[in-house]
Amino acid sequence: MITVSHYLVLAAILFSLSVAGIFINRKNVILLLMCIELMLLAVNFNFIAFSRMLDDTAGQVFVFFILTVAAAEAAIGLAILVVLFRARQSINVEELDSLKG
Amino acid sequence: MPDFTPAAAEIFLIGAICVVLLVDVFLTDEQRRLTFRLAILSIVGAAACSSYFAATESVTGFSGSIVADPMSDLLKMFAYLVVALVFLYSRDYLVRAGLFKGEFFILGLFGLLGIVVMISANSMLTLYLGLEILSLSLYALVAFNRNSATAAESAMKYFVLGAIASGTLLYGISMLYGVTGTIRLDELAAYFTTTATLDVPAMLGLAFVIVGVAFKFGAVPFHMWLPDVYEGAPAPVTLFIGSAPKIAAFALAWRVLVEALGGLHDSWQDMIALLSVLSLAIGNVVAIAQTNLKRMLAYSTISHVGFILMGFVAGTDTGLASAMFYTVTYALTSAAAFGMIILLSRKGFEAERLEDFKGLNERSPWFAFMMLIVMFSMAGVPPFVGFYAKLVVLESVIDAGMLWLAIAGVAFAVIGAFYYLRVVWYMYFDQPAENEVALDADLDLRVVLSANVLALLALGLFPGGLLDLCSRVLS
Amino acid sequence: MVTTLLFYAFASVLIIAAVGVIASKNPVHSALFLVLAFFESAMLWLLMEAEFLAVVLVLVYVGAVMVLFLFVVMMLDINVERMRDGYTRYLPLGLVVALVVILEIGHVIWYRSQNLPFLTVPEPNPEGYSNTRELGSVLYTEYVYAFELASVVLLLAIVAAITLTMRKRPGLKVQDVAKQVAVNRDDRVRLVKDDAGTETET
Repeated sequence: MITVSHYLVLAAILFSLSVAGIFINRKNVILLLMCIELMLLAVNFNFIAFSRMLDDTAGQVFVFFILTVAAAEAAIGLAILVVLFRARQSINVEELDSLKG
Repeated sequence: MPDFTPAAAEIFLIGAICVVLLVDVFLTDEQRRLTFRLAILSIVGAAACSSYFAATESVTGFSGSIVADPMSDLLKMFAYLVVALVFLYSRDYLVRAGLFKGEFFILGLFGLLGIVVMISANSMLTLYLGLEILSLSLYALVAFNRNSATAAESAMKYFVLGAIASGTLLYGISMLYGVTGTIRLDELAAYFTTTATLDVPAMLGLAFVIVGVAFKFGAVPFHMWLPDVYEGAPAPVTLFIGSAPKIAAFALAWRVLVEALGGLHDSWQDMIALLSVLSLAIGNVVAIAQTNLKRMLAYSTISHVGFILMGFVAGTDTGLASAMFYTVTYALTSAAAFGMIILLSRKGFEAERLEDFKGLNERSPWFAFMMLIVMFSMAGVPPFVGFYAKLVVLESVIDAGMLWLAIAGVAFAVIGAFYYLRVVWYMYFDQPAENEVALDADLDLRVVLSANVLALLALGLFPGGLLDLCSRVLS
Repeated sequence: MVTTLLFYAFASVLIIAAVGVIASKNPVHSALFLVLAFFESAMLWLLMEAEFLAVVLVLVYVGAVMVLFLFVVMMLDINVERMRDGYTRYLPLGLVVALVVILEIGHVIWYRSQNLPFLTVPEPNPEGYSNTRELGSVLYTEYVYAFELASVVLLLAIVAAITLTMRKRPGLKVQDVAKQVAVNRDDRVRLVKDDAGTETET
């Protein structure tokens, strides 16, 4: 049978894939934004699984708000990306070296 | 019908933001000063709400979403003060740089709202939403100057790292929720004080939460964003990021680590101690190598965060009170330091290199003296407030039996004094560059900045009142 | 039994989609893989009886956020080849990081949660139970403060996005409907007397 742990492990796999994606695609900003979406998806899995386990709505309400904030975050992230592209004609992080990091 | 009084200031701020937003739409660029005045008025109004509905004891509201207690009122007052200073200092710079748009003040007010919401959060959900309101407005503010590629680049870095930190924090919160079954901070606290054995998933959650908090503070090794953002952002935005959000970070750490997870103090003490030592070391040592004043102040911020975290490591009442004292006085000091940069900046010229301060004494003896006070206070020279803040933090750590941490703190502070004193040396013992002109800032900016700096001296001479207030509101 | 099979089917496609997101050569493919991942997640949330959130995920994410992503990817016209330069350099490190994180969290969840009910199977909800009603009843009462803050977040996102991206460009050809409607016949039509049959010189 499918226990809560199954969902939690699935969430852990998604979370670590998103972290790996951030490592691998360090130079591609738009993929970084997608990896962040994937990370939030993993968190949402956790909350929903726990919400079912505890029979408590707080977890699902939290997911509702994470979805809202993530949409707003994506909008602002893409807006910054557009500004960056207009200013530099590139979103390649390797060319973004005027700051030392 | 819920009781609205615990959230009076927040509700007022939201209403005020909408009004400013609507009024700003109908203004021409010549009338833009009205937006600035309305923004200041909004802050004053929110301060009035906070003081009128000031809580004498801890009251929760909105089904436990928020809490109004004396500590939150005090922190909010300082947040209002610092953001009002930020707006006042920024105005002339923005006008000169052609960035004087209503959105700066509206996004700033949004940021203030996020800080205020975080300060009085009593639920992980409220805390998270407040944090996001603050972060999202800061991301947008960093990219505010759309013609600057550097600003856009640092905004992107800030955004990506900030979003990863938020994700990490959320993952930790979800683990804690799974273990305890609640997202309310007071119920979390009750769970961890009554449960004897600590489950490993809770430890996992705790670790993730600490990473998130450390990032928002800018503690080493989660400090990568700080120097780039300080350098890349326009000076008024650096001023904002360098001052008010430190109060929010303190509130975040306080609400999560002390209030909710205070029962786990033994588990997180070592982690925070490590972050503190690393921040002190990296912050102070790397700052020496900087030639850009904004970058230097960024690394200096990291080292000050090390001191603030020290108070959390001690974990005692005096330790936390001294951390709070350190945070609010640092926010004021930082506002003054960046205020000086803005004062020296002119159209198309950002006074951000150390050389720009050369011979300031000949150009303006008064502001050279002001900058001297700020630098001495940051370095921890008596009788300025920075010295006293460091002293009380170190005392609390020694009382908690962590002498090694106190010794590390003193050692790195002595190393750090070098780069602050170098600025003073430049101002007094170097010749100004050929083409330097006299300062041309407006009178009100000069007056407020001087008052801000003199407050650092006054607080250093009479620190007892504020420190008493800090320990009183915490107990 | 059916749920078990469905879980493994959806979960494996979800993981493949997630790998696709981080490993695709082309950002457009990544975005489409992300859409697939969101769909699979919605299916899995349905299995967990979180129906409302499953529907919201499809509507908000696939319907709005991912479309926004695709718009921006297409609009920016990214040079795909140069994008992938450091890809193989970081790939081994990324895989090691992922494996370590999976093993650690998985170990904690599976073996170190003795006192916690992580290995239980959640009871199915009773017949006639409405997930949406349940969420709605707490959203506007217990969480009304958070709800209002969420509206502030959305307002902030609007203000920020417009501040950052809107610009006035001179010389744009804009259609002004009000002007078009307000036009009189005399503005547009000019009657010209033409004497038919009169010779005109060329």
